[in-house]
Amino acid sequence: MRPALESTKVVRRLLATACSTAMALTLTACGGDEEARSKGADFSRQDAFPSTYKADEAGPVLIRGATLLTGTGEQLNNTDVLLKDGKIAAVGEELKVPKKGMVVEGSGKWVTPGIIDVHSHLGDYPAPAIESSQDGNEMTAPNTAQVWAEHSVWTQDPQFALALAGGVTTLQILPGSANLFGGRGVTLKNVPGRSVQDMKFPGAPYGLKMACGENPKRVYGGKGTLPSTRMGNVAGYRQAWISAAAYRDKWDNYHENGGEEPDRDLQMETLAGVLNGDILVHNHCYRGEEMAIMMDIAKEFDFQISTFHHAVEAYKVADLLAENNVCAAMWADWWGFKHEAFDMTEANIAIVDQAKACAMIHSDSAIGIQHLNEETAKAMLAGQRAGFHIEPRHAVSWMTLNPARALGVDEVTGSLEKGKMADVVVWSGNPFSVYSKAEKVFIDGVLMYDRDNPERQPHSDFELGILNAEGERLPEGGQR
Amino acid sequence: MGIKQVFKIGAIASLVSAAVAAPLATAQTLLIKDAKVITLGDQGTLQMGDLLVKDGRIEQVAEDLGNLNADLVIDGRGKVVTPGIIAPSSELGLTEIGAAASTNDSAIEDASIGAGFNPSVAFNPHSTLIPFNRAGGVTRAVVVPSSQEKIFAGQGFAIKLTGEFDSVTNGALLQRVYFGEYGAELAGGSRARAYEQIEGALAQAKEYADNRDAIRRGEWRELDFSIDDLESLQPLLTGEQPVLITANRASDILQLLVLAEQYKLKLIVEGAAEGWMVAEQLASARVPVIVDAMGNSPDAFEKLGARMDNAALLQKAGVTVMISGPGYAGSHNSYLSRQGAGNAVAYGLPFEEGVRAITANAASVFGLEGGVLAPGAVADLVLWSGDPLEVTSFAELVVIDGKPQSLVNRSTRLRDRYLHPQAGTGHGYKK
Repeated sequence: MRPALESTKVVRRLLATACSTAMALTLTACGGDEEARSKGADFSRQDAFPSTYKADEAGPVLIRGATLLTGTGEQLNNTDVLLKDGKIAAVGEELKVPKKGMVVEGSGKWVTPGIIDVHSHLGDYPAPAIESSQDGNEMTAPNTAQVWAEHSVWTQDPQFALALAGGVTTLQILPGSANLFGGRGVTLKNVPGRSVQDMKFPGAPYGLKMACGENPKRVYGGKGTLPSTRMGNVAGYRQAWISAAAYRDKWDNYHENGGEEPDRDLQMETLAGVLNGDILVHNHCYRGEEMAIMMDIAKEFDFQISTFHHAVEAYKVADLLAENNVCAAMWADWWGFKHEAFDMTEANIAIVDQAKACAMIHSDSAIGIQHLNEETAKAMLAGQRAGFHIEPRHAVSWMTLNPARALGVDEVTGSLEKGKMADVVVWSGNPFSVYSKAEKVFIDGVLMYDRDNPERQPHSDFELGILNAEGERLPEGGQR
Repeated sequence: MGIKQVFKIGAIASLVSAAVAAPLATAQTLLIKDAKVITLGDQGTLQMGDLLVKDGRIEQVAEDLGNLNADLVIDGRGKVVTPGIIAPSSELGLTEIGAAASTNDSAIEDASIGAGFNPSVAFNPHSTLIPFNRAGGVTRAVVVPSSQEKIFAGQGFAIKLTGEFDSVTNGALLQRVYFGEYGAELAGGSRARAYEQIEGALAQAKEYADNRDAIRRGEWRELDFSIDDLESLQPLLTGEQPVLITANRASDILQLLVLAEQYKLKLIVEGAAEGWMVAEQLASARVPVIVDAMGNSPDAFEKLGARMDNAALLQKAGVTVMISGPGYAGSHNSYLSRQGAGNAVAYGLPFEEGVRAITANAASVFGLEGGVLAPGAVADLVLWSGDPLEVTSFAELVVIDGKPQSLVNRSTRLRDRYLHPQAGTGHGYKK
């Protein structure tokens, strides 16, 4: 069973985009379907701020004789991985050493797909945190579906590089959770960029951030406007979807029957993009009851929720999540900071997973994002202590393939499979150990981080001349 | 052999059943056999050793104690024993739900009292945070007040995590003060003002001590602080109480060293993100630090020098390092100091120092019981399933005052209720 992302339109667009970039040469991906886009209006506006990301030129890389966690449920010992032309070219034993390529001796090392964080605010809440850079929450109206998180991203946030050193290759930057509809999220490749477009994951669908529960009702109730209650929240969602459906119909009617072109409305475009399946719903929602309500709203208005985020109570409704093909993004053990985060169990991810729903770890934290392997390890342990048989070869999907699904990019990344983007991490040991570190991180086959080579460790502009005018934030050898 | 009960690890790991918990709770003598024992004391680390607990105290630690009589004997093969974790700065027992004001007692919105505030009488041993953190291996904690009004937050105290009414072991342990960015904000916008306030309070506390009677009679100039506040600062001046001052920037830390020297304070620096830059000075002033070992983000201008090997560099220079839980996780996850220590070790802190940083160092800095496995010491200990700093290890047995503790908590209760979630009313009738 696949979650929300089985939207054929989304997959088709991803493949089509992949074909148009220099790096993507797999023939199977390049059919003649590029034209088969939605005939209706382009609510998603995928091309308004198009990705300008291009992987650097890089020769082939052979990682030899490592322990692989493929992300697809397998642990392959003493196995080779060949990265070529930005893709995973082969996974197998005794692969041939490529000419002019780089060989990584993998003995004692472990290899996983690049870590994917479905919930981050890097760039929108950058470091250092000061008033002028708090750009993640447009707290001025309960529905701000018209804002796009990418327009707040400060690409020089030094925390991107910290996340990279933690093995994170792809991340979704979401607006905050003050509003019922917070705005659009954007999926980025974790690469240095002068513009956010330089970081945008080519072809990745947009996300729509929604929020249940305490935050919207607190923020707007405090201002004396709707919503001030959870029932007010739900009224707000439904009213907006009614408007969005009318907006979509207006445009569909225009495309079918002509007449006067309707006025564009940015807020409605995002919501209509959800209704036609191009934009994926990422819903901050802690409580089981609220998740059940949200899934009914999705049925009422005929859209699909991709993922519940901060789903502290997902375990209570794990069977419903599975039935409705909705993913849950969870923490390993964070709790108690507010009432809706009170019913935490460390077995949350494991219970959701064992109920056959799509479970994943997520961070929502500039620190947590650097340790998602440790967070996954704790969640795996909690599952084992609950009596489930869960091994690293399975648990690794909680930080790789499942978040890729949630983001609608699982056709092209998230696992060590031939033809996928060469987003790969070489770990110093078992990634589910606190002592293991990401040693080499490849994005589209390019070595973007090398723990052993300071020349291959990106530093943002911010780090230059800080603390030491002639040096960088930390002295040479400083362990970021 | 006079062994009444021999528990295999499986049984210990699920202290859920009353049948198992009851004999554990009443055991007067407890013997752990054949475990790796990290004593953090004179006996160092025994790769394979035995540990005997009697009447709440550690009776003996040795490579082989033979077949001793004990009420409870635990097979420790493949396991590791350490002193219980001590949380060096937490709000355990003062908070239930962060964003629910009615469940929080750590701070007051009243500007009339600062240093004199002591929330120990508000301590709630029945907080859900107690059993949860205990299951994570925390046996004792330092509990501190906080403030959004004053740079003197008030007095902290120490607790045991037994969950019993008599858990407060030391009702007035320390004074907490804010310096750095937050202190500056509270003081009106500048570190200089914050420093002046701290210095001024100490000066007036001294003035008060020297002229107590006249001041109490009202025959003295008007002071800026209440009698209550000035009284509560006295133990700082006499060195009876340490003062915990938050600071992260290197220059802020150095400024605090000046203050400590001037007033002969037992200073502890909390935060110390740039501590590595002034590690030598901290070491020679014998000022210990509490650090968040995972806090490597330069997420404030006072933390530009934040780095993963801060704890390692500080320890190497001779500074006594205590590791708290990661800042983002708060008091609810105080036990995650273990993960912080694991990360610190991954970045160069010697392993045993990592264990010490979450146990023994807090005991010695704050003068608490615990932190060492040695004859005569209080029997606060944890038997871990493996490496105590590893994220895939867990506490199989937690002992406080010689008594094995229940490891059940809301996390395990909710887990067991919803292990296989399904439609219907059944969940409502599960225990």
